[in-house]
Amino acid sequence: MRGKSVSLDSVSMRFGDFTAVQPTTLTIQAGEFFSILGPSGCGKTTLLRMISGFMSPTGGTIRIGDADVTALGPNRRPTALIFQNLALFPLMPVWENVAFGLEVRGVSRRDRREKAEELLALVALDGQGDKLPTALSGGQRQRVAIARALAVEPAVLLLDEPLSALDLKLRQHMRTELKEIQRKTGVTFLYITHDQGEALTMSDRVAVMRSGVVEQVGRGDDIYDNPATSFVASFVGESNRLTGTVDSISGGFATVSTRFGTLTARSGPGLAAGDKTIVFIRPERTRLQDTPDGAGLALRGTFLRRDLEGPFINLFFDCQGTPFSAHITNDSRHAAETGTDHWLRIAPEDALALPAGALARDE
Amino acid sequence: MNAVYRSYGPLLGTIILLGVAVWTLAMIVGPQLFMIEQSLWRMEQPDSAVTAGMRIEELNNALSLAQYDLGALEGTTDPDKMAEREKLARSVSAMEQELTTLQGQDTAPVKVYTISNYTEMSGYHAEIFVKTIGASLMVTLIAFAVCYPVAYAAAKLAKPERAALILLGLVIPYAINELLRVFAWLMILDYQGVANSVLLWFGLPEPVRFLDSGAGVFVAMVYAYVLFMVFPIYNTIETLDTNQIEAARDLGASTWKIHSRVVLPHAKPGIAVGSIMTFMLSAGSFSVPHIMTRGTAQPWFSQLIYSKFYDSFYWNQGAAYAFTLLLVCVAFIILMMKVFKVGIRDIAK
Repeated sequence: MRGKSVSLDSVSMRFGDFTAVQPTTLTIQAGEFFSILGPSGCGKTTLLRMISGFMSPTGGTIRIGDADVTALGPNRRPTALIFQNLALFPLMPVWENVAFGLEVRGVSRRDRREKAEELLALVALDGQGDKLPTALSGGQRQRVAIARALAVEPAVLLLDEPLSALDLKLRQHMRTELKEIQRKTGVTFLYITHDQGEALTMSDRVAVMRSGVVEQVGRGDDIYDNPATSFVASFVGESNRLTGTVDSISGGFATVSTRFGTLTARSGPGLAAGDKTIVFIRPERTRLQDTPDGAGLALRGTFLRRDLEGPFINLFFDCQGTPFSAHITNDSRHAAETGTDHWLRIAPEDALALPAGALARDE
Repeated sequence: MNAVYRSYGPLLGTIILLGVAVWTLAMIVGPQLFMIEQSLWRMEQPDSAVTAGMRIEELNNALSLAQYDLGALEGTTDPDKMAEREKLARSVSAMEQELTTLQGQDTAPVKVYTISNYTEMSGYHAEIFVKTIGASLMVTLIAFAVCYPVAYAAAKLAKPERAALILLGLVIPYAINELLRVFAWLMILDYQGVANSVLLWFGLPEPVRFLDSGAGVFVAMVYAYVLFMVFPIYNTIETLDTNQIEAARDLGASTWKIHSRVVLPHAKPGIAVGSIMTFMLSAGSFSVPHIMTRGTAQPWFSQLIYSKFYDSFYWNQGAAYAFTLLLVCVAFIILMMKVFKVGIRDIAK
């Protein structure tokens, strides 16, 4: 099996007056694990359905490898789709499910069975071929769906939030498995999700979508550390926000006046002196101190409460009316008391100033 | 039973159970048992009565002959003839005595239990029986062929509002009395009816005898029972996850494969229920063949049953015919369940 690239050229989708996907140009490399991340209703599923062939775009062209597939139906594209609810055939035993794509291609029963067993072994379901899908656990059904999709040797595997129905432990386990299967087969994976954890852990690259627009495409680290827009910054991961005005920009750093004083932060794209800005600070990069010492701005915050997340603890502070949170590693040493004051220091390299524009409009 | 008592309490529970029992007995078991009982006996003259009847006949003949001879010998004076006359008179009185004894015997027919009601079906009736079953199977098949695409289109292809319209369109004719609908078809398919007028206008040399050939029965019957096929199939197809159809297509399946491997297997219980209902209604239909053939084509088996009951007042054989038909219908149900591998519970759904 060998993956192929997917290129979208100004692909758009309109339903009447509503534009589900604005003209989008995007290239997914052959053999890449690519995720499209966005909240529900952002157009990611529409995009997926256009690539799979269940919807025809109202504009633009879609290429898979070198072939223009815009006008082809789903049964004539080298793609296979894994549905959110998996859509296994409940009346067929597992092996027939897996071999369905081969059956409709006229492969003989013996060869089908052989191929199905091979694929079931790939997804660690050896010997389960004669069971009905309903007799399997959620994670096993998941793997049947993957095997069924891989049976037709697709160049591109499209996955529509297939893990959303699983419980946390299984979901984490399946992430590793999906990545492993992708590595073994070399097929291009296009993964749709609203779960940033899934997107960041599995993907080679991630596209973040909102309201039919791809706002940023990049590696997980880029998306997380250097979000291009205020939406990406707030959607991916948690963040504290301070609003202010840009005084000056130099050497990639902006000086921002806030009501807590002047702050130095990394300057995001499209920011100019005089702009309204939102400064994003990740809770885990917020330094909790007993004194205001050190580079950058220090805020005085009153401790409100703590949420135990397991590996880390989320501490909530009130900084003169602005909520602020900080993550600390759960090493059982920090035992703050409600009502006590602390210093929250923001180092310049841990803060990112982005144009307030789009996000301010939303809120 | 305990569950009923637990959920409804002793009073309400007893009422519910009684209701069920009364319903089962009065509506299902009772009439059937009555019918079966009727079919297993007939009124017959006892053997002795038959021989006695023949003897009475014989005696009557001999008696009138003897009395004639006696009359001819009236007033004779010849001693030979006198002796002959005396002998005749003695035998007449002996015959008269025997006749009185015989006539005194009970000659009323008696109830005899027998299976001959079942075994005595004439060749002609047996032929009609087989033809009725065959024709009902055909009606079922045609109804399925017509209904499956409609049900699929309404359940999966059409937008919800349009699907509602399609189904409404199917239901509306059923608000009209069945007889009226059948008469409407009679007018359409009549020798001088609408269909023939149209065909003649298109240049057909002479009208087609739709009704005499029995084809009219088919058309009207498919029309009359189509709904009983559409709705069960529609209901099951509607519960099919559309993603499964899309998944099949995505994996490269042709339309035929999608239906044969995904949609049809899922719709099996609905098809079984629809077929059972259509078959039973067709096989037991009286009004449709009665109106549509008007005696010009072979009758339907149900018409034979009717005439056994009401024309020849032979209830026992009528009951046997009716029970035979019921047995075939039950056999059909079991066959359908085997063929479609569905249980009673799937059908109940």
